[in-house]
Amino acid sequence: MQTVPIARYFRKIYTNIATHIYDRPPRTLAFLIIIMLSILPYSGMDLIKLEILISANLIAILAASWDLLVGRTGQISLGHALFFGLGAYTTALFIKYLGWPFWITIPISVIVGAGVALTIGIPCLRLKGPYLALVTMAFPLALQGFLYYYRDIFGGETGIGLPKIFPGLRFFDRIVANYYLSLALLVLSSIIIYKIATSKTGIIFISILDDEIGAKACAINTTKYKLMSLAISGLFGSLAGAFYGHIVSGSANPRLFVDTTALMPMEFSLIPIIAAVLGGVGTIYGPIVGVYIYQILYRYILRDVITFNIFGYIVTVDRHMQLFIFISFIVLLIVKWPRGVARAIVEKLEDLEEPRELEEILKEKTESKQM
Amino acid sequence: MVKRMLESIIIIGTIVGLIYAIIALGFTLVYGISGIVNLTHGVFIVVGAYLYGVLSDYLLKINIFPPESPYLIPIIAMFLSFIFTAAIGSIFYRLTLHQILGDEISILIASICSCLIFQKLIYITLGTSQAFAYRISPLAYGKIRIINTDVLTGQALAGTISLITFIALSIFISKTKVGRAMKALSQDLEASMLMGISTEKLYMLTTAISAGLGSLGGILYTSTVTFGVASYMWMSGLAVSFTVVVLGGLGSVKGSLLGGLILGLAEISAMTILPGAGVLQSSIPFIVIILVLIIRPKGLFGKRIEME
Repeated sequence: MQTVPIARYFRKIYTNIATHIYDRPPRTLAFLIIIMLSILPYSGMDLIKLEILISANLIAILAASWDLLVGRTGQISLGHALFFGLGAYTTALFIKYLGWPFWITIPISVIVGAGVALTIGIPCLRLKGPYLALVTMAFPLALQGFLYYYRDIFGGETGIGLPKIFPGLRFFDRIVANYYLSLALLVLSSIIIYKIATSKTGIIFISILDDEIGAKACAINTTKYKLMSLAISGLFGSLAGAFYGHIVSGSANPRLFVDTTALMPMEFSLIPIIAAVLGGVGTIYGPIVGVYIYQILYRYILRDVITFNIFGYIVTVDRHMQLFIFISFIVLLIVKWPRGVARAIVEKLEDLEEPRELEEILKEKTESKQM
Repeated sequence: MVKRMLESIIIIGTIVGLIYAIIALGFTLVYGISGIVNLTHGVFIVVGAYLYGVLSDYLLKINIFPPESPYLIPIIAMFLSFIFTAAIGSIFYRLTLHQILGDEISILIASICSCLIFQKLIYITLGTSQAFAYRISPLAYGKIRIINTDVLTGQALAGTISLITFIALSIFISKTKVGRAMKALSQDLEASMLMGISTEKLYMLTTAISAGLGSLGGILYTSTVTFGVASYMWMSGLAVSFTVVVLGGLGSVKGSLLGGLILGLAEISAMTILPGAGVLQSSIPFIVIILVLIIRPKGLFGKRIEME
């Protein structure tokens, strides 16, 4: 008797593809996905729905930057919305009070994001312990109080309006242009983040995650590299935030930091976390895919109220219930597979033994019986 | 005038500070004993306050207690809320965080996502209108005069309750067998395991106590300061706990008392001096955190901290 050879063959191919694509995504695949994404506006897609992908593109940058800090360096930030909101507010303030054009203010906001990351990091990262997580989570909450208190400077709840990046274009053209801009930003910044993560510096980041004492023993100034990782992360986070303010939300408002009354109160801090759990922590491109999954699930598939008819009982599931189920699922995933779902699946595949012939198993059994 | 203002700042600030210390106490206890940063602590504050509100409303409605003893209902509701929250906390810990012990990143991520689960649970069970604001009646009505300052009786009572809780907890930790086992666990995990201490049971007990303390803090805070609870208040509760804990040093019970007092005094004085600074309430803890981290990173009684 034999196992079916074709099935074995396909299984082997599948394992190879899954492991190789996951380990080192081939450039052809990435290229194909980029081409697919870039012909989307001309594929008869509803242009209003394209706006969801615009925000997905920009949030994906945030998620990738979060992953560089947390997944690669092991320094936990629970409030990445801080950099997101900071980017938007910096360009808004410069535009409002100095009247500078956005192509000067956005680079400034990027620099400010990195600077703020450094100023938080210097007191927090000197200490061993979860200080960075605590401080980054509390910072957006604290900033919100300032935004409400100095209402005439920061604009209170409504925030400061931001000009559009393509003011000359009509509505639909502008959406397409914004889409290409956001896609280009995503591609560029994810390539840069990925290159940093796979460079020598990135390997030092991973060494800090794996064994900090060992890294120190190799004469690596771990504090310096942690700060570097935090600064890069803050830089890309505020880049995403600045463009999000210009393109999607149209203003820099306190909701970019924390929105207590929203469905999801710390949206821009929690989305990177959820996306990383869905896509795999520490892979850089995993969270990007995770953000896409999340946005498509959240904005396309889930409606305001879903009604089921189960054996005559009508069950309505509203947004809160949906989010409750979704987040419970996410927590379950974290508990079951702490490093992300995709990584767990791949590790399972890698650990799979070659399927043995039935004859061998029978032979072993008879041998053991004889003994 | 200045003297009276100073007196009132000190008295009200002390009371608020004691309540803050109770809020943070559970957080610091869990970190000190098991090394877990349990961010769900913020949610237990809210859950406890909600349970207290619902239970006391229910007890008032069924009308079985004599009206001559108005303290009976709050005490019973507080006790039940403590027990229920402790049970929820320990069960939640056993189901999720216990299985990823030692993985710091996952614990932080899982616990912050679970905060959202509990918030949505409150939304689902109570409905949107009550989840945004639920009235919590004060512990007692009337006023007392302490050193030329009028203090609400409820506030004075809350301060007393938190002081008593502190004393009870420190006696529990230093005198009883279980408490000493906890202390041993915080000092040396392996040696205490060799002495026959069951880490699993003790960790569960610790989380239960911490969740109960969180609920107590939530009840005291909502019934004396805000007079209401909303389901999203876990974020400010967490911010307060962080600040107190960073001020006093992670994992130190004495430190959390002192940190709470300092934070309460700082907040009340800022809100008296600056006009209309109510919205700044969430920012003051943060300024304190940053100042402390720059000036004295270990906190006042820092324990599990190493400088790099």
